[in-house]
Parts: sequence; structure tokens; C-alpha cells
Amino acid sequence: MDDLPLPVDGPLPADGLFAEARRQLTICNACRYCEGYCAVFPALERRTVLEDPDITHLANLCHDCRACFTACMYAPPHEFAVNPPAVLSEVRRRTYDDYLPKLPRPPWTGLPWMRGRAGVAALAVVAAAGVAALALAVPGGGPAGSPYRVIAYPALLVLVALPCAWGVAVLAMAAARYWRQTAGSFRGLLNGRAWLAATRHAATLRYLRGGGADCSYPTDVPSAARRRLHGCVAYGFLACAGSTIAAAAEQDLAGVRPPYPVVSVPVLLGIAGGLGLMAGCAGLIWLRRRADPASSDPGMTSRDYGLLIALEILAVSGLLTLVLRQTPVYAGVLALHIAAVVTCFCMVPYTKFSHVVYRFLALVHDSAEAPGRQ
Amino acid sequence: MITEPSWDVVVIGGGNAGLVAAMAARRHVPRVLLLERASAAMRGGNTRHTRNVRCVHDQGDDYTPGTYSFDELWRDLCAVGTGPANEQLAELTVAESATLPAWMSEHGIRWQRPLAGTLHLGRTNRFFLGGGKALVNAYHRTAAGMGVATWYEATAEDLVMDGDRAVAVTVVAGGQRRRVPGRAFVCASGGFEANTDWLRRYWGDAADSFIIRGTRDNDGKVLAALLEAGAQKAGEERGFHAVAVDARAPRFDGGIATRLDSIPFSVVVNSAGRRFYDEGQEIWPKRYAIWGSNIAGQPGQIAYSLWDAKVSRLFLPPMYGPASAPDVPALASALGLDPEAVTRTVDEYNKAVVPGGRFDPGGLDECHTDGLDPPKSHWARPLDTPPYYGIAMRPGITFTYMGIAVTADARVRTADGAFENVFAAGEIMSGNILSTGYLAGFGMTIGGVWGRIAGRGAARVASGGTSGGTSGGSDG
Ligand SMILES: Cc1cc2nc3c(=O)[nH]c(=O)nc-3n(C[C@H](O)[C@H](O)[C@H](O)COP(=O)(O)OP(=O)(O)OC[C@H]3O[C@@H](n4cnc5c(N)ncnc54)[C@H](O)[C@@H]3O)c2cc1C
Ligand code: SF4
Ligand code: SF4
Repeated sequence: MDDLPLPVDGPLPADGLFAEARRQLTICNACRYCEGYCAVFPALERRTVLEDPDITHLANLCHDCRACFTACMYAPPHEFAVNPPAVLSEVRRRTYDDYLPKLPRPPWTGLPWMRGRAGVAALAVVAAAGVAALALAVPGGGPAGSPYRVIAYPALLVLVALPCAWGVAVLAMAAARYWRQTAGSFRGLLNGRAWLAATRHAATLRYLRGGGADCSYPTDVPSAARRRLHGCVAYGFLACAGSTIAAAAEQDLAGVRPPYPVVSVPVLLGIAGGLGLMAGCAGLIWLRRRADPASSDPGMTSRDYGLLIALEILAVSGLLTLVLRQTPVYAGVLALHIAAVVTCFCMVPYTKFSHVVYRFLALVHDSAEAPGRQ
Repeated sequence: MITEPSWDVVVIGGGNAGLVAAMAARRHVPRVLLLERASAAMRGGNTRHTRNVRCVHDQGDDYTPGTYSFDELWRDLCAVGTGPANEQLAELTVAESATLPAWMSEHGIRWQRPLAGTLHLGRTNRFFLGGGKALVNAYHRTAAGMGVATWYEATAEDLVMDGDRAVAVTVVAGGQRRRVPGRAFVCASGGFEANTDWLRRYWGDAADSFIIRGTRDNDGKVLAALLEAGAQKAGEERGFHAVAVDARAPRFDGGIATRLDSIPFSVVVNSAGRRFYDEGQEIWPKRYAIWGSNIAGQPGQIAYSLWDAKVSRLFLPPMYGPASAPDVPALASALGLDPEAVTRTVDEYNKAVVPGGRFDPGGLDECHTDGLDPPKSHWARPLDTPPYYGIAMRPGITFTYMGIAVTADARVRTADGAFENVFAAGEIMSGNILSTGYLAGFGMTIGGVWGRIAGRGAARVASGGTSGGTSGGSDG
């Protein structure tokens, strides 16, 4: 009796990821109960037809807060099986790499066992060996505690600048391709107001607030933990970058060579940033472990771990170079830290780090599309 | 049968009314048990499908800009169906609604500002952030924090009566029958719309093709037990609220997403391919409910909405997607209809459309037909732009009207008085307030207001007091 004769075909067949995402989002668009949580639903409501690039755009607006999943009366075990954070995170994972330029990847990233956590760890070891060898081959000079005693300045510069330039260039190309595919014309990129709004949303992690109710993460009890920890990581990362820039300025503009005293801009920024990164990454790893695996895509989960562990290594090794700079193990620790930096720059476009680029562009696109929404 | 230790208050049903009653009772007595028939994942009855609540507010705020006075809500209520069934109880509901939003916020509910999907009701109705399931989740967290016990997959089968008092409720839980004694009981188990056999009494075999928009658990078991024990009925017996839903919707629990919005922009035919009702009669939200019963009255309880490419972006995209075809006969075939009959109907309609009127999808416009029976009085434009689209529709029942009569303190009424310690709240007693018809958002108001009154009254009886007087006060 539960089955009525159906006059026309049943639910849309959902083969393939985009078809499944379209199926779920069409239900959301007929329902709209979650429109108060984040930017995904209002953006969805502006569309009656969902092409693949629309779905990719929506996926990058989703911050995986899971508020909608917890609130969804159609979440499994309901037969509609709606789970936006899971399907959208799978779309992100599958599309992130599509936007990378088809340059030959660093050969090691293609090795199947070199992915995610294992890959990051193995690469760090390989690169560390390389740096250590280089450091020994090109000894420098300078006072105790100066990095240039371990490795000559030009060698260090080349060692770090090359992979850095590579990472930035690859990400820039990916950004351009992403924008062309999801937003169409590059003219939209000239919208200053949209940039401002996107920057404000990104800086305040607005969409990790779940429309005022906080994230349903790691459990279905709303919590601000993820937003706070993510803030520690993001601002910790920026502080570390700031520390490097400040050090460069001291050296090249003010002519003050390292080591810098504890009370100096580079060191204070470095300590604050390192501690923020360390605490934030550790916290996010802990949250990840507690989160319900059902509402996220396993591939994305391992990428998350990959990035978090890499950042954790950067933070810890960076802090150790500060703490241990007057001790005999300084050379080894510094080599390890530089190795970590080099590894990360090489890998950066292929890791979850790229979410910074795609998400930011998605916010710009969204702000340009919906000027009224603040 | 296992006999459980006794409770102060046993609440039957874990929707809005039951959760509110349990929390209100728990403020006054320590041992409160909530019986929820569904699993934890599917908890919350029809409440999990809701979106908003309609309350009096003398001042606007971020969530309901503008004022909505007692008088205005009262007028809106009187304009529905045959108006309030019991004026005293209806007035009490409207008056008590004013304190409901603050109470809900205190008990964990978060709100959403009016956005695209909610604007047309933004002044009168408050929208819960995330909808009804988010509300149910929040209430459960608050109730658990207050110390309310909840049993899932626990079905109340019967009340054990001793004269005008109930002494226990018979519960099937974990595969076993249990006798659960208590000092007072709140029945908040919803309507009986999921009980096809019951609907068949009024509708015959047509009942088999009704789609139930909410939970399959609201089969009226407790309502039947109360009537059996001598409770009085309230509300129209064979009536229900129904809207047009996609004929492919699941039999139960399809909720909001299966509702169809195409009707005012389309031509609606029955299985014989003929029109039967003015599709453009009124502004749309007001006419949702007409179409449920319209379709229920057609052969096979099915009808078909047909439109063309001109209007396909003017309404919410149907969840399953429409059938489409390059011409009308092909569309009719795709929907299993007689192509000749449908083509004839569409041709007649197209000829009757008065050309040149102002078309306005947002309000009553000038586009209408002339000399057509039944007419299409607004939004009438010829069906002439391929591709053509169509969708089959069935009546989707939201809830049934008939329930049990209550006193002003929510006790269940009998022929000559009321049960001493049996209370009712929510859909199961909404027939006291609206005997027919429906006012969007008022189901949740009734559950909230009467959940508070019933919970408070039950606690008072449980702690030895008599359940006199009406509500008032702002405790509970
Ligand atoms: C799709 C849809 C959308 C709606 N939208 C709105 C809206 O936006 N605003 C609004 O005001 N109203 C809305 N309504 C109406 C609204 O759902 C009801 O008015 C309201 O939820 C009734 O609350 P309740 O607690 O009385 O019943 P319900 O929420 O239906 O709860 C009944 C509870 O009793 C349980 N139960 C049933 N039988 C037994 C038993 N024998 N033993 C134990 N437990 C049992 C059920 O499992 C359930 O937990 C909507 C209805 C539907 C179907
Ligand atoms: S996640 Fe569920 S409740 Fe939210 S909009 Fe989508 S279908 Fe509706
Ligand atoms: S998980 Fe959060 S950010 Fe993603 S769609 Fe749902 S509510 Fe929006």
C-alpha cells in the first residue's frame, strides 16, 4: 500500500557526483529552510538551473559547518538522503585539482602512496635530507644563533624563494582558471566592493557562525570551537608570514642581521603566530577526530589532516628554531624547519591549502552577485 | 507486561506541543517522561517539517519587522474557514501567543531574518533558523538539560482509566508492553492523518491515493483511545488541510519539498484531460489549500499541471523535475494522458485567453480568459512556447482537523465535565480553535501556547493541586 502507481518516472537518477549534488540541491531549492545559515542557500535560490560550474561555486561557498545537515528533516535515514556538507565537500575535493595548470606535477606527488599524510611526512624527510646536505656543502658565517652560520644567505634565499615562487604561480593560474569556469568573465574580478565584502567575510569567518547558531561541528551540539580554532590557524599563519617579512625588512632595509632579540617584531610575531598555528592545528585535528565521519567526504578528511599536520610541523619546527637557537642542536632543527618550509611551498597547490584561493574567489563571486547581502 | 516506576507527568508525543509541555511541566515537578514513537533520528512528528510560527507582537524586531496586533491576528483567524470553533479558547490562544517567542528563545530557539524564501510572511510569522528539525533538536537539548527523560521508539497504545482519572499509559517499547503509571498525562500525539483506514471511513478508496506530507506515526492511536474513554470531539470530522504535491512524492514524510507551485501559471487538467477549476483565482499562498481538496475530488485523485517555456522560471523548481516535450500532444503522452483530449482543452483555453493584458507574477494581474468554463481569472496566457512542461499532482495531506475538546486549562473534556488529570495540546486539540481551514504558522502557535498550559496544568495536578483556573502568568 505504500507504493502508489507512478504516472511518470520516479526520482532523478543520481549517477555521478554532479548528478547527485544536483539532486540534493534541487531538493534544497524546493525547501529553502536553511537559507539563514550561510551563503550557499541564497546563492542557490538565485538559480533555477544548476550547471556544473554553479555546483562547483556553491561547493566552494560551503564551509562544512554542518548546520544544515543537523537541521535537515531529509537527512538519512530519510529516503531523500540529503547531506549537503558531504556532497559539497566531495565536489570540492574532486574539482580542486581540475583548476591546477597541466604542468608536470612534481613527480613524487603522482605516486599513489605519496598522498595525504603519508606524502607530506615522507616528503618532509626527503627534503630535510636535501637541505641538511646543502647546509653542510655551503657553510656560512655569522654570530651564534644566526641562521647564516648554518646555511649561507644566498643558498637559503634560493632554497626558499624558488619553491615559494612556484607555489604562488601555480595557485595564481589555478585561481584564474577557477574564476573563468565558475564566474565567466574576468571583469567581475574588478569589482572592488565585492573584494571588500569577501575580505570582511573571510577575515571574520562569518560563515563559520552558522547564521548565529554556530557550527554543528564536531557533533550536532552547536559550538564555536571550529571557528575559534580556524581563526588561530589563519591568523597564526598570517603572523608567521608577517614575521618573515619583518625579518627581511630588518635585514635588507634596516641592515640589522639576525639573530634578533626576543623583543623584536620578527620574533614576537613568529612566537605568536607559531603558538596560534600549533594550538589551532592541534585543536582542529582533535575536532576532526571527534566529528561524525558520515557528514564529510573521506578524501577531503585526509586532505584536511594533510594540511593540518604539515602546518603543525611548520609551527613546531619554527618555534624550536627560536627556542633552541643558542644550543648545539640548532643546525639540525633549522635544517628541519627549512625542509618543512620547502616541502610545503612545493606541495601547496596540491594540498587543502588551495581552499584559501577557491573559497575567497567564491566569496568575491557571491558578493558581486548579491550586493544587498551584508 | 512490565510495570514501570511511577512518573509525575507523562507526555505522549515529541513534537512541538509535547516538548513544550514536558519542559513547562519540568519546571514544577521532578519526574517528567516524554514518549516519542519515532527513532531519535526521525523524532519530532510533523513539527520537524515546519518553518514558522505566527504570534502577536506589538513591536517589530529584526525577525518580524512591523507590528502585528491582537486585533489583526484575531481578524485573520476569523477569516479562515468557518472561523474559530470555540471563541474563548481561540482568544486565549491569540493572547498567549504574545509571550511565546521570548519563551521559545529562552528554551534554545534561534530565529532567521526574513529572506527571499520568507518575505511574504515576514511581518506576521517568525521563522526558526534552520526550520522545524532545528527547533526539535534545540528543544530536546534544553529538555534533557532540565532533566526531562525521553524514550524513543515508544508507542503509547492506550490510557488505563479509573473513572475520570488516568492511572497509567500502556506503552510498547523495545518490543515489550509496559504499563507506565503517572500522576498526570499530556496527550500531544498529533492528528490521525497517517491512518489510511480511518480516512477511508470518510473518503472510501480515494484515501489510498492520498499522500501524507508528515510523519507516518500520527495515526491517531491516542486520539482513538481518548474518544473510546469518553472524550468529546472537536473540529470537522472528515476535514483535512491538503495542498497539491508531486504525485511521485513518497507516501509519507515528503514534507515541504514535494509541494508544487506551478498551478497559477499553468493549465490544470484531470485524468480525462479536462480543466475543472480556475487556476488563477487568488494570490497563491492563500490558495494552496484549495488545490488539495480540488484534486482529492477528481477521478483517481490526480491532476496535471501543464505550462510552457515562458513561465518555467517563475516558480520554485519542482523537486523531481517536470516532464517536458516539444509539443502538447507529446507532453500529454509523456504524462500518460490522452493527447487528443489534452490538445482540445489547450486549444480551447488558448482561444479564450484575452490578449494584451498586463502580466504580473507577483499579484492579481489582468491576464484572464473570456467565455471559458471554468475561467482562468488571472495569469492566463496561451500555452504556445515550447518546450512544454507538465507534472502529475496528488493531494498531500498536512493534517486532519478533528481532535478532542478541551477546557481552558487544557484538560480533555467529556460529555459531562473533564478528565481530572488528562491534558491535551497541539494538533490533537487544534479543532477547538480552528474547526476547518488553516492559518499559516498557527499550528505551531497552538502547540506552543497549549503545550505550556497543558504542561503547567499537569504539573499542578501531579503535585497535588487541583487543575483549576485558566492559564495566565508567565511561568512554565
Ligand atoms: C510539511 C508541513 C509543513 C508545516 N509547516 C508549518 C509551519 O511552518 N508552521 C506551522 O505553524 N505549522 C506547520 N505545519 C503544521 C504543524 O506541523 C503542526 O501544526 C504541528 O507540528 C503540530 O505539532 P504537534 O506537536 O501537535 O504534533 P507533531 O509535531 O506531529 O508531533 C506528534 C508527536 O507524537 C508522536 N506520536 C504519535 N503517535 C504516538 C503514540 N501513539 N505514542 C507516542 N508518540 C506518538 C509522534 O512521533 C510525534 O513526535 C506543517 C505541517 C507539515 C506537514
Ligand atoms: S539541507 Fe535539508 S532542510 Fe536544509 S534546505 Fe536542504 S533540504 Fe531543506
Ligand atoms: S554545511 Fe554549513 S556552510 Fe555548508 S551548506 Fe550547510 S550550512 Fe552552509
